[in-house]
Amino acid sequence: MITNEVVFKHLSEGVLVLDTSGRIVSSNPAACDITGYSEDDIKGKPFHTLGSGDGDLFQYQYERDQALQHQKLVVEGWKVKQNGHKFWCETCYAPIFDEGRHGGFCVVLRDISERKQMQIELLASEERYRLMVEAVKDYSIFMLDPQGHIITWNDGGGLIQGYSESEVIGKHFSMFYTATDLIEKKPERELDIARDTGVYREEGWRVKKGGSLFWASVVLTALFNDQNKLIGYSKVTMDLTGRLQHEESLRLSEARYRSLVEQVGDYGIFILDTKGRIGSWNEGAKRIKGYTAQEVIGKYFSIFYPEEDILSGKPARELRIARATGKYEEEGWRLRKDGSRFWANIVITAVYDAEHLLTGFSKVTRDLTERKLAEQSLQARSDEYRQLVQELMNTNNALSAVNQELEEFTAIVSHDLKEPVRSVKSYLHLIEQQIAQQKYELISNSVVKSIKGTQRMQELIDNLLRYSQVSKTDLRREKLDLDDVLTEALQNLDDAIKKSGAQISKDITTRGLFGDRVQLAQLFQNLLANALKFTDGKAPEVSIRSWTESGEIRIVVSDNGIGIAQQHLEKVFGVFKKLHFASQYPGTGMGLAICKKVVERHNGRIWAESPPGQGASFHITVPFNEPNTV
Amino acid sequence: MIHLAIVENDEDERFFMKEAFGASSSFQIVGEFGNGDHLLEWLENMPQQQPQLIVTDLNMPGKNGYDIIAEMHERRPQIRVIATSTSSISATRERCLRLGAREFLIKPDVFTEYEGFVSQVLDMVGPELAES
Repeated sequence: MITNEVVFKHLSEGVLVLDTSGRIVSSNPAACDITGYSEDDIKGKPFHTLGSGDGDLFQYQYERDQALQHQKLVVEGWKVKQNGHKFWCETCYAPIFDEGRHGGFCVVLRDISERKQMQIELLASEERYRLMVEAVKDYSIFMLDPQGHIITWNDGGGLIQGYSESEVIGKHFSMFYTATDLIEKKPERELDIARDTGVYREEGWRVKKGGSLFWASVVLTALFNDQNKLIGYSKVTMDLTGRLQHEESLRLSEARYRSLVEQVGDYGIFILDTKGRIGSWNEGAKRIKGYTAQEVIGKYFSIFYPEEDILSGKPARELRIARATGKYEEEGWRLRKDGSRFWANIVITAVYDAEHLLTGFSKVTRDLTERKLAEQSLQARSDEYRQLVQELMNTNNALSAVNQELEEFTAIVSHDLKEPVRSVKSYLHLIEQQIAQQKYELISNSVVKSIKGTQRMQELIDNLLRYSQVSKTDLRREKLDLDDVLTEALQNLDDAIKKSGAQISKDITTRGLFGDRVQLAQLFQNLLANALKFTDGKAPEVSIRSWTESGEIRIVVSDNGIGIAQQHLEKVFGVFKKLHFASQYPGTGMGLAICKKVVERHNGRIWAESPPGQGASFHITVPFNEPNTV
Repeated sequence: MIHLAIVENDEDERFFMKEAFGASSSFQIVGEFGNGDHLLEWLENMPQQQPQLIVTDLNMPGKNGYDIIAEMHERRPQIRVIATSTSSISATRERCLRLGAREFLIKPDVFTEYEGFVSQVLDMVGPELAES
């Protein structure tokens, strides 16, 4: 049996019954759910217990009066649950009459917090949009009603079209169109297109306040509500006049640069695309490389490279480096159209657009051939001079050496030549004294000594002449047989050999040599004479050997004589160098000096070896091949 | 009496030198040699009369005058060495003094005129040797 009690209890709306003073008499379970109070807790409490503030006592009294007066009152406002949480509550008062007498109020409570929240957010959002749109200055943004009347306006509109909000609200948007457009009913057509397709876009001339024109970008968008009914249009307008002017000046500037670049004659300047295809050509490029623009545009820039560069992948490598580092620079050979080479300085620069994407490369080429040639000839000249200086220095050094040698030679020669002169002079003085003292018997000895002095002088002078002859520049070089030369030397010494009873052996494996026959005969004669002379009374044993080693002929003359002390092995070749007393081993001290001179003039070396007690051996090496210089 | 050793390879020259120094009462010749090797060999054998002064030629076979100067300077500094030569080149004199010679004197024009040379030597070393 469904009674009113049961209905009250199961109502989904919260229902409270108040007495006339506003005190809660009863509540249903839904009301308890909403407020958080149990029925017992809330019964007897005034309704404003659910209120949110102090002023509520009066507020609630007022609401009840109003409800009584108007038979019904619906209010919205904050209510507070038992746990202190606020909720947005719709309160519906209805006075209760019992048999015509006012007995209280029936109050329906509805928690509409969620709905309220959404509403608040929507409002806030709409407000934000409104503020945003109104504040936009670069675009004119406004709304039209379905017939095209302006219903909103923003700052951008004020700046672009020049009108204030009050001047345009309610007006038809055709006010922004030129007379021509109006005749053609362009505004109406645009609305139709926007309505049918959703949007209309164009760039075109529009009219500002005061009648001046501006180039506008326009987007007209149809707005539909939930029921897909047209509720109006939004219109966004941008003034492109500035951009147009910018583009125009850009075009002018580009044209200026292009003509500038095209006319440059000393530099080849051209553009490559990202793959290295030539995209432009200038006068310099034409002059340097010999191609006309028609011939090269669209071709790969590798046509300028020599074959070996192409094979080694150089052009692609250069682009890779330019791409990676922004730039590639080098000097190297490049080809002209006619195939001739030129020495180029090239710079490849990567070119990027505003979004930093590679659009290609610029390439600047300079022909440095003439400069390079000038540099080369300068270098060659400098090298020549350096060589000349070096030669002069060498000559100077050689002259210095010769000069020093000559000084030493002069000192030694003058000293050694003076000795016999002084000796002769001394004995002549003595003879004079002996005559004065009438010691005639002594004169004979002095005369003998004088004669010996002059003989010695003559020997020295003869040897000096021989030495200087060896030094003369005109050395005769002819192909000789070593054996013939030795035979000649031995023949000259025939008497001495016989006298000393010397044993002479020859072991000659290399016979042919180039040189001056007279000088070489003198060389061997001096060496053999020494071998016969410097003996300790024993019969001399002399061996002559020759062989070839590392492109040289080695000739060795060895004896079984007294040998040479180690410290004198080099000294013995000095001019007038004597290790022994003339009384024991007579000589001028010139023999080995002459030998050394002869060997040096034949580009060879001479040295002495003398192991203790094994005599002396003189080693000579001379180049085996025929000398190509004299 | 200054004890003197003469080193000269030319026998004639040495003869006249010996005559001239022998004629002076200030010198006693304790040895005469043809080169440095002979002189040094003699000195090594501890002669009874050591020389106070050596007059030596420069250019000789074997050990020459320069060798003698250096050797004496190093090993027998108490012996003075006077070098002599016909050379008048200043470098020769400088080299001798650098090696430690007491003095360098140019030989007389002829062998027969060594008297002047002898008195020159005496003037030079006489006083200092008399002191020691």
